[in-house]
Parts: sequence; structure tokens; C-alpha cells
Amino acid sequence: MLVRIEMELEDVPGQLVKVLDPISRFGGNIQNVVHQRDRKTPLGRVPVTVIFDVDERARLNRIIAALRNMGIRITRIGEREGMVKSIVLMIGHIIHTDIRDTIDRVNVIRGVMVSDLSLAMGAVGEESAARATIMASDEKRARAALSRLEKIAGEKKLLMITSLEGM
Amino acid sequence: MRLIMIGFGNLGRAFGRSLLEKKEFLLTNYGLTPSVVAAVDEYGAAVDEGGLDVKKLLKTAEKANTVADYPARGKKGRSALEVIEEVEADLVFELTPTNIKNGEPGLTHIKKAMMAGRHVITSNKGPLVVAFRELDRLAKQKGVEFRYSGSVGGAVPVIGLAKKMLAGNMVHAIRGVLNGTTNYILTRMSKEGAPFDVVLREAQELGIAEKDPTLDIEGTDTACKITILANAVLGISAKLKDVKVVGIRRIRPEAIRLAQEAGYAVKLIGVAKRDSLEVGPKLVPVGHPLAVGGTLNAVTFETDLAREVTITGFGAGPRETSSALLGDLIDIHTALGD
Ligand SMILES: NC(=O)c1ccc[n+]([C@@H]2O[C@H](COP(=O)([O-])OP(=O)(O)OC[C@H]3O[C@@H](n4cnc5c(N)ncnc54)[C@H](OP(=O)(O)O)[C@@H]3O)[C@@H](O)[C@H]2O)c1
Repeated sequence: MLVRIEMELEDVPGQLVKVLDPISRFGGNIQNVVHQRDRKTPLGRVPVTVIFDVDERARLNRIIAALRNMGIRITRIGEREGMVKSIVLMIGHIIHTDIRDTIDRVNVIRGVMVSDLSLAMGAVGEESAARATIMASDEKRARAALSRLEKIAGEKKLLMITSLEGM
Repeated sequence: MRLIMIGFGNLGRAFGRSLLEKKEFLLTNYGLTPSVVAAVDEYGAAVDEGGLDVKKLLKTAEKANTVADYPARGKKGRSALEVIEEVEADLVFELTPTNIKNGEPGLTHIKKAMMAGRHVITSNKGPLVVAFRELDRLAKQKGVEFRYSGSVGGAVPVIGLAKKMLAGNMVHAIRGVLNGTTNYILTRMSKEGAPFDVVLREAQELGIAEKDPTLDIEGTDTACKITILANAVLGISAKLKDVKVVGIRRIRPEAIRLAQEAGYAVKLIGVAKRDSLEVGPKLVPVGHPLAVGGTLNAVTFETDLAREVTITGFGAGPRETSSALLGDLIDIHTALGD
């Protein structure tokens, strides 16, 4: 199952590494970490979201217990058994057309997150390629994310290649 | 059965060779004795109502590059239309080059043949993407048989599988790798990491890609096949312009590598559904039945009873495609109960 844990960490060095340790130690396969330093809470804590894959409930319970024992403030735990994962390729002037903006416009959809991005830069003047992994909480949101991305790709003249399964 | 061959190029000749090779086989298994009474190319025709000597016809075509040089019975300047109208025959093979703009000269050849009461077999996509319904209706009106298996999938019996073997099913969707040239290019790019232009040149040198590969690379050839499948299998009156098409020109080896790292191959896929017809590069999971390599074609039918059925094989090549032409001939022979 895919698990999403949202927590608030003290803004001191080493905190992030500390929370990731029990997750991987108890068998969680970390997929994505979002560290939102620009969205500090009023008490100066940093919201962090970790998404990981884990195959048994017992392991998940141990991870959560370990985090709580460390005094970590967990704000939300979401199990996403039915989490929908979509892989998308994009080809074009990806960087020049503001990749940050592309991702942000997908991420603002509720229940959707671009959880991985790999880039292959083209030579000067040539097109680049990118692969994005989009996690969505259900099929409907996954479709919404893909159609949003398709619209952006149209605007930015990017070639978007989706998986056959979605056709 | 008396046959007229309109177009005697790569495919026409390969079919001629298959006729020679299968002479005994056709007789013993089907009681079929095909006789080529005329062959026509752009320069002229060879006509013998008693039956041409196919061996001699092949030799003439190879040496003189036209059937019009056929000893005694060849005639320069004799056109396909004249032959269709004047020569007594049962069936016309229309094997001229594909023209997707107006279907000509194939479209007129097929219409004339049907009006003259002759059965028609073609591998030419042009007339089908321009006037599928019209031809289908004309054939019924004139009470003649019309087959076009070789136009989609080459040797792979895509249309026959759907229309015959899956006849009791409702086909919801058809997805396929329908162009060997682009599949070869994508496969080579993924194996060698070589740039598009290098792989394209290699394909041209090997005779896999044509001198002008535009129709393949831009996805138009796949779109033609999707148009034909939409008409023949889904029963929609679609034209080529109804297909949304993206080609593979922008695919580079780096993009393919990114896909591979995530467990996918990049394939040019054509999709026909009742509400949408499209062609474009897609991510296909490695190990998926459509993830075929090299020049192979593969087509999946998504149906109500049988669920998914996939068929794969060689999508082009004259000898391979002659299998489809011969299959159509036997099919018509059987349908007529001769
Ligand atoms: N080759 C394959 O593997 C394959 C597979 C599937 C489908 N097809 C389709 O099958 C068709 C034939 O393919 P092919 O490879 O045999 O093509 P090809 O080698 O170019 O042969 C075309 C033949 O048509 C003749 N022709 C052209 N215009 C004509 C006219 N107005 N009247 C009479 N004959 C005419 C040509 O004569 P000249 O030589 O005198 O010009 C030639 O004999 C094409 O539509 C192709 O797309 C081919």
C-alpha cells in the first residue's frame, strides 16, 4: 500500500534525515519527500510530506510508533491503497517553458502530486525529455491531472506521451 | 477462377510466385485453379483469356520492368480500365500504389471492376480510406465479393480475426502497432541509443523505410489502417481526416531511455474506438502483448465475450503480404461455393 504521512518538523538541521530513517528501516520504500520550508507553521515548524510504499500493515504500525516515539508531530496519515500512479513523458523545450510552473499547475489539483521527475537535457537548441510520475488519490483525479498536463503541454508546445492503459 | 492483376509491382509479383508455389496445394485442398488472364502496369498490359504463363509473366516483368513486353500477348499503352472492361474475368486484384488524397487510380479501378460484376481483392489503402462505405455498398449492390485483408497488418490476419473468428463479439476498442517502419526505428533507438536520423537512414538502406518515409513517420500510414479498421470492424463511417494523428519525429533516444527506466517501451499506437480515433506515441509496459520489437505488427481487440485478443506477425513484405491476398482469394472461392 502507498502511505502518505504529513508531519511538522522543527526547523533544525538533521530533522528530515531522522524521520526518514525509521521509514526505510522498517521496510518502507520512500517514493517522494516534500519539504515545504516556505510554508512554515505559525510556530516555525516545517511541513513535510513523505510518501512511501509498504507491504504490510504491521510494518506501517511500527513506522508510525517509531516516529511518535521520536516526538514527531504527525498531522495526517493517509493510506492510499487505490492510489493511481501515472507515468508521463514530455518532449520539448521543457526547461525554457518553466518546468516549475508546469509541475505547480498539476500539483494544485487536490489529491494529485507529481512525485518524481527525471530530465534528459537535449544539446543546445535541441529538445529535452522529461519523465514525470503523477500520484493521484483516485482515477478521476488522475484523469484530471493528465488532462491538465495535456492542456499545459499544448500551450507550451510539448509532446506529451501517456501510457497505453489510459487510452 | 480467372484473375486480372492491376499493378504488377513488388506485391503483384510476389503473389504470382505464390500462385506458382501453391498450384498443387490450391487444387488438392480447395479445388481451386486460378488463371491469370491479364496483368497491367503503368506501361501496358499482357492479356490472354486462355491464361497467361505466370512464370513467363514474372520473367518479363523482371527483365523489361513491364508486363507489356510479354511475348505476343503484351501490349504497350493498354490501360487498366480497358482491361477491366474488355477482358472476361471473375476477379480483379487492385495492387497499384497507395494514394491517400483521392484514392486514385485504385478507386476508379475498383469501382469499374465492381460495376462489371467482378469480385475485388485489394491491399491498396488509398481507395479504402477515401471511400470505404461507397465501395462496400457498391459491392453489395452488384452482388460481388470485396476483400482487403492485406491493407491492414500485411500478413497478419487482423480483419479476418475480427470479422470471422470473433464474429459473435462486440468489439469495444482496437489498439495496435500497425506500422513496421516506425516500430523498427523505435526499437533500434531503444536498443542502440542511436539518434533518429541515423536509425532512419539505416532503415532506408535495409529497404524497411521508403525513400520518402513521411507517411510512416508522421503516423499517416497507421491512421489509414485505423480508418480501415474503424469502418470494417467497428462499423463507423470514418475517413482519414477523422483520425487525430501524432507521429514519431520528435522521439529521441533519451526519451526512450527515460521510459525504459520506468519499465516502458515507446510505441506508435493506433486506437480505434466508437467515440475516438487516434494515433500517437504511447508508453507500453515491457512485457505487454503490444510491446513487439523490430518490424513486427500487433493488434489487440477488446471485446465483450472474449475480452482481449492479440495477434502479432509481419506487417509488410511482399511474400508475407501475398499470404493475405491468397487467403482472400480462397475465402471468396469458398464463399461462392465453387
Ligand atoms: N509491398 C508490400 O509489402 C505491401 C504490403 C501491404 C500493402 N501494400 C500495398 O499494395 C499496393 C501494391 O504494393 P507494391 O509494393 O506492389 O507497389 P509497387 O511495387 O509500387 O507496384 C505498384 C504497381 O502498380 C502499377 N501501377 C501504377 N499505376 C498504375 C496504373 N495507373 N494502372 C495500372 N498499374 C499501375 C505499377 O506499374 P509501374 O511499375 O509500371 O509503375 C506497379 O506495377 C500498394 O498500394 C501498397 O501500399 C504493399
